Amino acid sequence: MAGVIKKTTGLVGLAVSHNPHERLRILYTKILGSLQIMPQDAAYRKYTEQLITERFNHVKSEQDVEKLEKKINCGQIEEVISQAEAELALSRKMTEWKPWEPLVEEAPANQWKWPI
Amino acid sequence: MAASLVRFVRSGFGRSLNVARQSAAIVQTRTTTTETRPTVRPKDPVTHTQLSEFGEYIAEILPKYVQQVQVTCFNELEVMIHPEGIIPVLTFLKDHTNSQFNNMIDLTAVDVPTRQYRFEIVYNLLSLRYNSRIRVKTYTDELTPLDSSVPVHQAADWYERESNCSFVFYFIFFIKCETLLGVLILLRQVRYDDEVKRVVAEPVELAQEFRKFDLNSPWEAFPAYREPKDAPKLESGDKPAK
Repeated sequence: MAGVIKKTTGLVGLAVSHNPHERLRILYTKILGSLQIMPQDAAYRKYTEQLITERFNHVKSEQDVEKLEKKINCGQIEEVISQAEAELALSRKMTEWKPWEPLVEEAPANQWKWPI
Repeated sequence: MAASLVRFVRSGFGRSLNVARQSAAIVQTRTTTTETRPTVRPKDPVTHTQLSEFGEYIAEILPKYVQQVQVTCFNELEVMIHPEGIIPVLTFLKDHTNSQFNNMIDLTAVDVPTRQYRFEIVYNLLSLRYNSRIRVKTYTDELTPLDSSVPVHQAADWYERESNCSFVFYFIFFIKCETLLGVLILLRQVRYDDEVKRVVAEPVELAQEFRKFDLNSPWEAFPAYREPKDAPKLESGDKPAK
């Protein structure tokens, strides 16, 4: 059954992707490129690189779409594509916000104390 | 059942994680015996550790904004952030592959008048992919505006207008400013009028005379968290008066 493209994703508004491997390859390369700008020790860079390279390796090694979905284990391949798009947008915004810097301002003394 | 809050205090200095157990407050602990009251909520240490590890993960990625992370005794993860970090943290939780909290369930505020920043704004988020929830909390006072989270979650729109009307703080709206009160002006209010002895419909007035509430109750709310009363302190060198 390899090579048969599924008819529908079953989700409203999410069209079946005709070349998911190509799309994911492009997205993951862009994400990894955008992560290179961040400092080496930033936790976001570390964990995201780990996650993305793992998924990228799955994409490179597995040609069958259904088996790839099972390997990545995060829903359908179209959902994986939208997650990658979101991650790409996020990584670009993170380079602006720079959240790895130390805390902006400590909360006042009793701010989070509960009960009062 | 010991109602204990395990707090992971994220300090701004140094990267070490302080696991400070709640030893400062007086907690009633009971020795572990066989469970004789099965209606008590059973503890779930596995979920607790999973949530606390995820909380540490978030705090490690966003140290610029995250001030504190805690997991309540009901296994709910709460992340306390600085108000500057509303949009970054909410965008991160929504877009990052490991979190994917793309559903905003609620946006409310808690008014604690005794604090310097009296309003505590609470965002409740849900992740459909991982079936988990998270709570993000910030703070503000009456005058400081907050960034609106509508660019991240459209659902925040109504909740922001509502909390704008219920409390006194305000958000910087990206879209045109229309509060709930503006909508109410167009409606009619119905009340029973004693003079004419029938129900009367008038334009909305929202009479404020009866809004003074006394929230003190005669019962102690949190007996487990009683603070020790300060004994009168002596200056060093003074002798106690006989």
